[in-house]
Amino acid sequence: MKSQTKKLSIVSSLILVAASILIVISLFFPWWKMVFVAPQYPEGLNIIVYPNKLAGEIDIVNGLNHYIGMANFSEKNFPELSYLPYLVGGLASITLLTALLRKKSVLYGLIGLFVIGGGLGVFDLMHALKKFGTNLDPHAPIKMDPFVPPILGHNTVANFQTDSLLGLGTYLVIAAFILLLIPLWKDRK
Amino acid sequence: MKKWIPIASGLLAGFVAATISFADFSAKTNTEAASTTKSDAEKVYVPFGQKDDYYLFASGGHSGQMFIYGVPSMRKIRTIPVFSQDSATGYGFDEHSKKMMGDYTWGDLHHPAFSETKGDYDGKYMFATDVGNSRAAVVDLKTFTTKDIIQVPNTAGPHCAAFVTENTEYMFLPTRFAVPVGQKYESLDNFSDQYRGVMSAVTFNEKNQKLGIAYQVALPPWSYDLSDAGKKSSADWAVMTTYNTEEATTNLEINASQADRDYIVLFNWKELAKMVKEGKYENVGGQKMIYPEKQKGGIYLIPVAKSPHGVDVTPDGKQFIASGKLAPTMTVFSFEKAFEAVKNKDFAGERNGIPILNYKSVMEREVNPENALGPLHTQFDDKGMAYTTMFISSEIVKWNPKTGETLDRVPVQYSPGHSVAAEGDTVAPDGKWIIALNKIAKDSYLSVGPSHPESMQLIDISGKMKVIQSSPVDPEPHYAQMIKADKIKTINVYPKDPKNKEAVYKQSDTKIVRNGNKVDVYGIAMRSKFIFDAKAKRPDVIEVNEGDHVTIHLTNIDFDEDITHGFAINSYNLNMEVQPGQTNTMEFVANKAGTYPLYCTNFCSALHQEMNGYFLVKPKQ
Repeated sequence: MKSQTKKLSIVSSLILVAASILIVISLFFPWWKMVFVAPQYPEGLNIIVYPNKLAGEIDIVNGLNHYIGMANFSEKNFPELSYLPYLVGGLASITLLTALLRKKSVLYGLIGLFVIGGGLGVFDLMHALKKFGTNLDPHAPIKMDPFVPPILGHNTVANFQTDSLLGLGTYLVIAAFILLLIPLWKDRK
Repeated sequence: MKKWIPIASGLLAGFVAATISFADFSAKTNTEAASTTKSDAEKVYVPFGQKDDYYLFASGGHSGQMFIYGVPSMRKIRTIPVFSQDSATGYGFDEHSKKMMGDYTWGDLHHPAFSETKGDYDGKYMFATDVGNSRAAVVDLKTFTTKDIIQVPNTAGPHCAAFVTENTEYMFLPTRFAVPVGQKYESLDNFSDQYRGVMSAVTFNEKNQKLGIAYQVALPPWSYDLSDAGKKSSADWAVMTTYNTEEATTNLEINASQADRDYIVLFNWKELAKMVKEGKYENVGGQKMIYPEKQKGGIYLIPVAKSPHGVDVTPDGKQFIASGKLAPTMTVFSFEKAFEAVKNKDFAGERNGIPILNYKSVMEREVNPENALGPLHTQFDDKGMAYTTMFISSEIVKWNPKTGETLDRVPVQYSPGHSVAAEGDTVAPDGKWIIALNKIAKDSYLSVGPSHPESMQLIDISGKMKVIQSSPVDPEPHYAQMIKADKIKTINVYPKDPKNKEAVYKQSDTKIVRNGNKVDVYGIAMRSKFIFDAKAKRPDVIEVNEGDHVTIHLTNIDFDEDITHGFAINSYNLNMEVQPGQTNTMEFVANKAGTYPLYCTNFCSALHQEMNGYFLVKPKQ
């Protein structure tokens, strides 16, 4: 490293520490969810995705989905849930490390990691949604055209209105990402 | 530090978005409002999306069932089968309910009583008695299903109860009919010597949800009509009315109405329990029986105007009010005066070995509203005012127990037996509503022939009493209980029970096990299929041999509120239900060879009509 590599300020370092804390906290909150509302389910059924588990009315959604021949959602079908917490934890550690090293170049690398990780996450979710929406059992009692539920936003499937939403965990990570950008602004030359 | 502003506002926007996405802003709705500004129609109208303020639990009389209504809408919500079979829920067909019912197929459910904590309804359990076949039952209010039924020996027709003590220590079951102990044969000529009106102290074990009998009391061979437990300062005591102290054995209409006075039985249940603990009882066929003429103490008689029906304790627990039935009088007695008379042995002789308290020493006032005839039963409002049903003059009279003053009266159509006010027999009545449980409804509703339903009339008691709604009801609410809706906490689905060996929660775990001529099926029901053996060529078929003993355990694996499945075998006279998450069992002998469709009886889904299979019985070779 050359000596002209700009050291990050103490304040920036603290901001990075805050970012790493936000990331750790995000592990305990849902990252994404889909809400299903039908005339006979006005209260809504949920599929809630945490970094390490699925929650919500998964069994009921599965029970209903078998009518259109959709495969079951289960933690078994999402191996990501077994290692995602470690990846996120790793990211938090690297963020903390960046805060300690206080090197701008490392921060650039970290931001790059965030972008790549985020991109992979979105791709993985899209892939899963496509897999479930398009691999419908041809013997299902109710025939449906294959469909891909959106990652964010509204969709209609038979009697269900679905809404895909980001969870608090994702918002925390986004907040952490914004915190990563602040030192670039603050310690700009 | 202006450069912070865009960053801070960005963060803020993020959290606002998260809050909007996840926070619950739904407003709570409530039908309660200033009732004075509403019309009668508005008072009883509960729009879709809102719920009633109160549950009404009306006894179903000789239907053997209990009826659940909502108040103020007076809409019927549910029938709970208790003492009678009910094919709609499979009650009396599945093993648990069949065993509980024994060999009986009907009952006469009279007086329901909520479990209480500190004299107030706690919304956990409902107790009921069966005059028809001398039983008591408990209903779990988490599921609104009957959990246990107990046969009460030495007694015949526990009409007078159930009434529970302040913290549900006991539910007392006094009896309407006197019989010899053990209900053995005995000539009616020996009525006074050999017959008894046995009262039972029933206990409830909340842990295993079982009823038991702590002890019994061999009271004189009279008829015991109604009863109530004391409250607060009188909590250790209870009162009940008697008639036929004449000990008549025939034509009771005339012969039991001769004496000018019958009695109120006043007893201290803590003292009775203590006597039992000290061994002051006799063992009678496994029951601990107190004979009041031998094991003295704890029981007293108070003279009262003849053939009284109700006796009701005021919310403050200081007074009890007997309703004269044949005498047009409500008599207000004072607990404190009664305790004083007991202490001072202020007795006017004995009857059947039980001391009689001096009437004048205990009586506070006789209340006789003008032309009010046939007082039967009294309820209370939030100010402690009394509301007494007048069976003969067909009205409810509101009066002040402290002064005897008549405050208001309202005609009802017709002949009210009991009435029920909102939490009207607790230490803290709510006021607001009283419902007249009328016996005659001949011109109230569209005619259905010579016999008519009973009627329940909703009366607004927030101002001048006014009948504002009338609801037909099947025979026959004798008494009812009205409880604030939020006190009852139901479950939505039965939770998984990993310890239940009869339950199967995974399709792949289903199996049919054969042991000689015993066939055990561990199956599941789900929208929209039965699976009895996942590995079989046809998983929804049960095939047995003629004469096989078949047990079918069925688990509803739709853990989804209100997705109840039924299970019937055509022509085998069998049907049961499995509520969401529940495991239920049907047991029978396949004594008819042939082909019998089996199907879901409780409409469950768009493919309910496809939810069937076959029960095949191979004929004997």
